[in-house]
Amino acid sequence: MKKECIAMLLAGGQGSRLYVLTENMAKPAVPFGGKFRIIDFPLSNCANSGIDTIGVLTQYRPLELNRYIGNGQPWDLDRSDGGVHILPPYQSAKGATWFKGTANAIYQNIGFVDMYDPDYVLILSGDHIYKMDYAAMLAHHKRVHADCTIAVMEVPWDEASRFGIMNVDGEDTITEFEEKPKQPRSNLASMGIYVFSWKKLRAYLIADENDADSSNDFGKNIIPAMLNAGEKMSAYRFEGYWKDVGTLDSLWDANMDMLAQGSGLNLLDKDWPIYARAESEPPAYLGETAEVDHSVVTRGSEVEGAVRNSVLSQRCTVAEGAEVEYSILMPGAVVERGARVAYAILGENVRVGENARVGASPEAAPPEEWGITVVGPEAQVEAGRTLKANRMLNREGKEMVR
Amino acid sequence: MNGLHGIIFSYEQEPGLRELAERRMPASIPFGGRYRVVDFMLSNLHAAGITDVGVVLHGNYQSLLDHIGNGKTWDMARKYGGLRILPPFADTRAYRSGEFRGKMEALAGVRSYLQGIRQDYVVLSDSDLIINLPLADVFAAHLESGADITAVCTANGGFVDNATYLTLESDGAIGQIWCAPTAPRGHRSLEIYILSKQLLLTLVDECSAQDKYSFRRDVLAGMTGRLKLQSYVWDGYAAQLRSVQEYYDRSMELLQGSIRAELFAAARPILAKEDDEASSYFAPGSRVKNSLVADGCTIEGSVENCILFPGVTVEKGAELRDSILFKGTCVRDGVTLRYVITDKYVEVLPGRTLMGHESYPIVISKGSIV
Repeated sequence: MKKECIAMLLAGGQGSRLYVLTENMAKPAVPFGGKFRIIDFPLSNCANSGIDTIGVLTQYRPLELNRYIGNGQPWDLDRSDGGVHILPPYQSAKGATWFKGTANAIYQNIGFVDMYDPDYVLILSGDHIYKMDYAAMLAHHKRVHADCTIAVMEVPWDEASRFGIMNVDGEDTITEFEEKPKQPRSNLASMGIYVFSWKKLRAYLIADENDADSSNDFGKNIIPAMLNAGEKMSAYRFEGYWKDVGTLDSLWDANMDMLAQGSGLNLLDKDWPIYARAESEPPAYLGETAEVDHSVVTRGSEVEGAVRNSVLSQRCTVAEGAEVEYSILMPGAVVERGARVAYAILGENVRVGENARVGASPEAAPPEEWGITVVGPEAQVEAGRTLKANRMLNREGKEMVR
Repeated sequence: MNGLHGIIFSYEQEPGLRELAERRMPASIPFGGRYRVVDFMLSNLHAAGITDVGVVLHGNYQSLLDHIGNGKTWDMARKYGGLRILPPFADTRAYRSGEFRGKMEALAGVRSYLQGIRQDYVVLSDSDLIINLPLADVFAAHLESGADITAVCTANGGFVDNATYLTLESDGAIGQIWCAPTAPRGHRSLEIYILSKQLLLTLVDECSAQDKYSFRRDVLAGMTGRLKLQSYVWDGYAAQLRSVQEYYDRSMELLQGSIRAELFAAARPILAKEDDEASSYFAPGSRVKNSLVADGCTIEGSVENCILFPGVTVEKGAELRDSILFKGTCVRDGVTLRYVITDKYVEVLPGRTLMGHESYPIVISKGSIV
C-alpha cells in the first residue's frame, strides 16, 4: 500500500572502530545507556514520529541485530502493512554483490522502496544517539519544496573541520557542501540524516550506479551530484543532543553524557520514549553494602559493592568490596569481590575475577599511555590480573594496546 | 492432543486486601517490583509449554484485562487457541447476575468453552498465587500416578485464612479434605488441580444438575470415595495473598536473595508486560540499601528495605523505610515513610510523614495526593 514516507536505516557498517565490541555483532546492536542498544534510537524516533515502514540494511555479522529487531514489536513496528524489514544483500537476476556504499545499499533495494510507492524517503544511520522528530523534518522538507533536506546542527567552530559542513544562504538553502574543510565557512555539520523526494533520489541512484568511478556514497557522491545539478537542497536545523558513537571514546562519552544533567540526553523523559527489546528480569537489588552514586542501574542487576559515575545494564553484578567507577557494564557483566574497574567498557557477559584491576583513572597513568580500557563480550579477566589503561582484551584472552 | 490446558479463576474479591483491591481483582495487584500477581501463574503455564489458557472472570476486571491483553507477553497470542478471556457473559443462563459461588458454578458458566478444549488434560488454578512451579513435572507426576485429580499442596508458609487443607496418606494419596478450618490441618492446598478434560466435563454437569458449586466441598470432599485423589507436595516458595498483612509480609521476603533466586529462576522466567522504562538513576547523595528497584526510577533521597516499582521518584531529603511504592509514585522533598504501601501514581507532598507499623502497614489508594 502507498506510504507517504518510509525510512531506510543504514545498519550495515562494519563498526571496525569499536574493535572488540563488534567482533561478533553489528555496531547498531551494541548496548547503550543501560537498557538500550544503539539501534533503539532511530527505531524509536521513527515510532514516535509516526513512520511505520522501515527497511533496515544489514550486512556485517547481522545475527544479533536480526534477532534483536525480530518482528519489531517493542517499537510498535509489527504492522500488517509496513513495519520493520531486514534487508540483507541478496542475489538478483544480474548476480549478487555486497553493498558497495551507502548509496548502493539503497540502490540495491529500490524494489523494496517502490513497493510502498512513497513520496519521500528518510535515510538514517544506525550509529547515532539522539531524539528527533522526523515528522517535523519532513514538514520542513515539504514546506520549502526541497528535493533533499539534510539535518544539520551547529558544532563548535574549532571542531567544524572534523565534520561534513553545509554552507547555506539566508533561507538555509544549501549552497555548498564541504567534507572536513580545513577552513570552514560555516559551523553547520551534517548529521547524516536525509529526507529525499523519492522520484529524484531514485534517478540519482541509478545515475550514480552507472558511474563506474563513483564510490556510491551519499556524502561523497549523491549529495554533491544533486548540488551540482542545481536541485533544491535545504538544511534542517536540529537543536538537542546528537552524537555519533562510532568509536570507543565517543561511545563512552555518550554514556557519560546520558548520566550528566543538562547534556540534553534524558532517557527517563517520558515525552519521547526510547523503546528496547528487553528480557523479563526482576527489579535490581541493591544490598546492605551497596553504594551507588551518580549512576544508572538496570533490572536484573545485583549490587553489593560501590558504583560511581557508571552505567549498569541488565543482569550486571557488582559484588561486595568491588568498585566500579566511570565505567560502562554491558548486559550480564560481573565484577567479583575486591575487583576494581575504572574508566572501562565491559562487554556483554564479561567476568572480572576477584581482586582484578581493569583500567585506571587519567591521574593514575601518563597522559600518552592513558585511555579507556575495553573488555570484549564474553571475555574473562582472571582473578588478580591487571589490565592497564588503554588496553583491550578479546574473548580469546588476547590483550592489545588500543 | 495429549497436552495440558490452563484454566485460571479470577472472580473472588478478597476484602482483606482493602485498598489494594479497591479497583482491581486480586489477580492484577502489582507485586514484586514490576509484576502483577497473575503474571506468576501465566508464566508457570508458559514455562510448561502451555499455550491454551482460559481466564474465568467476574467482578471489576478492567485492570486485569488491560494487563493481560491478548496474552502476547506469555506467547499466548495464537491463531488457534491461545489466551481466551471468559467473562460472565459467555453463557446465556443467569450466572451473569451475582458472583460465582464457587469454581464449579464458574465452570458451568463456560461449559461450551470447556467442551472445545483441544487438550486431554486441564490444570485449574487460582490467580492470587505467587509461585514458580515446574508445572510440567506436576503433569508428569499426575500421568504416572494414574490419579483422577492431582492437587498441589504445601507444608510451608503458615496458616492461611479460608484455605483448603489436605490430610495425606503415606503414599501421597489424599485422605481427608478440610475446607476453611480455623487451624492448619495437614498440607495446605495451593488450589492447583490437574484432571482430565473428560472428568472435568462430567463433574461440571453433575454439580450443575444438583446445584452444587464448590470444587473443594462438592468434588474433593464430596467424592473422596469415588475419585482417586493424589497430592503433589511443593517445598518451595508459595504465597497466597489474601490480606494486606500477607501482601506486605510476602513482598518483603523478596529482599532475601535465596527467595528471589527461587522465585525468579532463570530456567522458568516470570514474564511481565514490558514497562518501557529507561534504567534507574541514582543521584549523588542518594542512599539505597537492601531494596529492590525497578527501571525508570529517579532516586535522590534515602531508601532502605523498600520495593520500588517502575517510574518512582524519590526526591532529596526523603527518607523511606520498610515501604512498597507502586508505579509512578512521587515522594517529595523531606517526606518520611515507614511501613507504607503507596498504590500507583500516589504523590506525597513535601515534608509529610506517613507511618504504619509492621503489624499494620497502611495503604494509600491509587492516585491519591497526600
